[in-house]
Amino acid sequence: MSCLHTINKTPDSKLLPLCVSVLKPGDGILFIEDGIYHCAMTNLDTKFDTDIRVFTLQEDAAARGMLKRNLANIEFLNYRGFVELCCKYDKIVSWF
Amino acid sequence: MANDTLKKSVTFISRHAPYGVNNARLTLDMALASAVFGQNVSYVFMQDGIYQLLKNQHADGIHSKTLGKALETLSLYGIDEVCVDAESLAERNIQSSELIKDVQLVSRVEIAKLIDEADAVFNL
Repeated sequence: MSCLHTINKTPDSKLLPLCVSVLKPGDGILFIEDGIYHCAMTNLDTKFDTDIRVFTLQEDAAARGMLKRNLANIEFLNYRGFVELCCKYDKIVSWF
Repeated sequence: MANDTLKKSVTFISRHAPYGVNNARLTLDMALASAVFGQNVSYVFMQDGIYQLLKNQHADGIHSKTLGKALETLSLYGIDEVCVDAESLAERNIQSSELIKDVQLVSRVEIAKLIDEADAVFNL
């Protein structure tokens, strides 16, 4: 079953390596709230396999001045897209 | 006017990102209140606090007040010593050019001096 993992804390929380260590093919990661700051990290795209989709919430990125820091392979979502994503994946796992 | 004997120097250290938790907003409120009452304020941004200084914040989409805009007005309140820890910036891959203007890049040695010279330190 596919899983959407949400991360809502800054990279200081060290939640990302923990989350990545339990990812399965077909899973997705969504950065929300303070998780947005992961987009400023170096080599973020090398931390995932290519079959992992990575998303950020546009409203949270805009609030934090991070719209331009989004990497090419990270997909922007609005709140509606967030809801659709929650329905698309079988389960949600929140890392907080 | 505040009597000179009542004038203290106060250093504020802000270590949290702007919207996820309330610490950043509370620190700003304390710093502004101190400045309004004539205290000598130094404002230091460390660790995740450096994210507060990013340009182009637009928080209306998450129903919050844009903290970055408020921080740009610090000099109007007589808070001219606004410092950001260079090490914290580097760790988070943020360049000083991405920050709002009039912020000084400082080392830990300089932050130690600001703590040492202050009559009181608020670390939030």
